[in-house]
Amino acid sequence: MERDENAAKNPDGAAGDRAPLLSVRDLATYFRVEGGVAKAVDGISFDVMPGEVLGIVGESGSGKSVASLSILRLIPDPPGHIARGEIRYGGRDLLKLSYQEMRSIRGNEIAMIFQEPMTALNPVFTIGFQLIETLRQHHPQMSKQEAFERAVLRLEQVKIPDAAKRMRDHPHQFSGGMRQRVMIAMALCCNPQLLIADEPTTALDVTTQAQIMELMLTLRARREGGSIILITHDLAVVAETCRRVIVMYGGKIQEVGTVDQIFSSPRHPYTIGLLESLPSAQRGKDRLHTIPGNVPYIMDLPTGCKFCTRCEKVIDRCHQEEPELHQLKNGQLVRCHLVEDEAVKVSGDMPSTTTSAPAP
Amino acid sequence: MASYFARRLLLMIPTFIGVTVIVFGITRLVPGGPVEKELMAIQSALAGGEGGAGTTMVGTELITDKLRKQLEQSFYLDKPFYEAYLLWLGDVVRLDLGESFATKEPVWTRIKERFPISLTFGLTGFILSYLICIPLGIAKALRHAGVFDLATSIVVFVGYSIPGWAIGLLLLVFLAGDKYWDVFPLGGTHSDTFASLPGLAQLIEDPDVVVDANGELVREKMSLAARFLDRTYYMILPIFCYMMGSFATLTILTKNSLLDNLSQDYVRTAFAKGLAPMRVIFLHTLRNSLIPLATGLGHALSVLMAGSLLIEQIFNIPGIGLLGYNALVGFDFTVVMGVLAINTVLLMFGNVFSDMLYALIDPRIRFE
Ligand SMILES: Nc1ncnc2c1ncn2[C@@H]1O[C@H](COP(=O)(O)OP(=O)(O)OP(=O)(O)O)[C@@H](O)[C@H]1O
Ligand SMILES: [Mg+2]
Repeated sequence: MERDENAAKNPDGAAGDRAPLLSVRDLATYFRVEGGVAKAVDGISFDVMPGEVLGIVGESGSGKSVASLSILRLIPDPPGHIARGEIRYGGRDLLKLSYQEMRSIRGNEIAMIFQEPMTALNPVFTIGFQLIETLRQHHPQMSKQEAFERAVLRLEQVKIPDAAKRMRDHPHQFSGGMRQRVMIAMALCCNPQLLIADEPTTALDVTTQAQIMELMLTLRARREGGSIILITHDLAVVAETCRRVIVMYGGKIQEVGTVDQIFSSPRHPYTIGLLESLPSAQRGKDRLHTIPGNVPYIMDLPTGCKFCTRCEKVIDRCHQEEPELHQLKNGQLVRCHLVEDEAVKVSGDMPSTTTSAPAP
Repeated sequence: MASYFARRLLLMIPTFIGVTVIVFGITRLVPGGPVEKELMAIQSALAGGEGGAGTTMVGTELITDKLRKQLEQSFYLDKPFYEAYLLWLGDVVRLDLGESFATKEPVWTRIKERFPISLTFGLTGFILSYLICIPLGIAKALRHAGVFDLATSIVVFVGYSIPGWAIGLLLLVFLAGDKYWDVFPLGGTHSDTFASLPGLAQLIEDPDVVVDANGELVREKMSLAARFLDRTYYMILPIFCYMMGSFATLTILTKNSLLDNLSQDYVRTAFAKGLAPMRVIFLHTLRNSLIPLATGLGHALSVLMAGSLLIEQIFNIPGIGLLGYNALVGFDFTVVMGVLAINTVLLMFGNVFSDMLYALIDPRIRFE
């Protein structure tokens, strides 16, 4: 495909002919809530290529965290459960693995960094304990000494001064930025193939944000084929770090494209709205644009297009019929009735680097 | 940290003085008192013994005056309040608690013979309630809102709403005596006759060996196992009542604390690292959940050691609680003050101990 040739030139792009590291198909995660079933993630499909940094953006409540937690099967049950789908990783479907097999993947092959560095570490154990624990969980044969040295090395890599000494400190003795570094060290300590970073910098100040992002990217680069799924509100971060972006809204994928495509020719009104709400130099004279209205509560999402209640280009059809995902000629995927004339409907059998249509 | 605890220990001194000075003052203010009580007893004895024959009223008065002086001296009743208190405090510092008005024994001796009993009951109740309530709280949290959780909640709250002594009376009516089921002894701490030994102890002991000529049980001749069985047999009902009070609070505290912690972010992190659920729950979450329990620990311990008056009364257990109560109603003020002094010290150490434990479990707590 032509867009893969383009992508190959991108430094952190994936080679088009390689098999995806992770491929998610028609994943749906539901929660039982008061008054029914909340379809937090409702039939999403995407691939993560080896070495790729894939961005997932969308407003609060669009289902980004639920999607990423589903990959590691960390959805609290009850009230949630993965209703259907397939998550293929290394030739296996993660959803079909036994619990023990799943545990050997967590933190070892797929690791996760969470949004809240202040609470994501256990307050009563030293960070040394928490790092070594992770290492020894997946490398039982590793000696305590070896694990200690490896943990110190990881802390040094995330630029924690005095690493060996700080192993004995508890989380409350670190600042937010430092704790997020510790989280990164912990996530990377077993050399995972895939790192899922769920808004890793949202809780941090701007300078710290940049440092943390850079750290994640450089550390990943040391491992060949290591990929990152970066979940964020922040389109600016996406522009700097990702090759491809998934735009989510209402538990569904609304648009997928390379960073260039999304930023220069966004097609979904929701994506356009998100971009317009970015403060930018070119539009400096205009007032900051925001998408009208708020994200509706998940149980109040409309029956047709999920975005129709807030869309500026809404037509009658949008209220009745939810659009399918369509592929444009340049490979971009859009879920909008307005692009259907110039695009083809995406079927279940998807090209590996794109997204597939949801199941009925 | 060390300086904080040093200060806490120093603060005990004014606290101790504050508590004892108030009670010392009350013993001075109440009408009647040990001397009057004693003299009344002597007078009636004299009047009865002499039959009104030889001794004159003057003679009796002379004797009582002498006695009064003697009695007053023993509790510094002849001195003004502040002087008396300071003298008493001086004695306490030298570990001399004075003499009981009632029995003329040193107060120390009376407390010392009661203390092991209260300690045994208190500690056993304390350990058992933690041993039962923590696992029960955990089990309830893990099955939150399930059948097991709801069923145990009903039992726990019914138990909570009935005071320990009322349960004690109920248990005695139904499980002791011969009205319904004669399973447990009516009271006391051990058997005096072979027949009152628990069945298992009767099996392992030979009545010819352990019973003396008067038909009385000689405990020294009994085996350790039999004595243990016997003690346990007498402890079951009172311990049960001791525990009822703290049972609900402890269980629900454990459950809520664990539930609360299970939804914390660090638990998700622990699962995301690939740890086993057992490790996540019993190491990561439990350690955090126990923090609120540790605060009450030292306090609970000292309260339990001080004994529970009503339960000791119902089960006729000669513990500290009963000693203090009997001393109070009998105007035996030296004993009252002695028991008070010991309990105050225990309580104060219990609180400091709690704080130390708190700091030990939760690294975020640093006392400066
Ligand atoms: N434990 C839960 N119980 C019920 N509903 C849930 C639960 N977790 C998530 N949801 C629902 O799933 C939807 C998606 O939530 P999710 O956390 O994935 O959003 P998000 O895109 O990550 O938002 P944010 O940017 O705020 O992190 C929300 O509407 C939320 O109400
Ligand atoms: Mg989220």
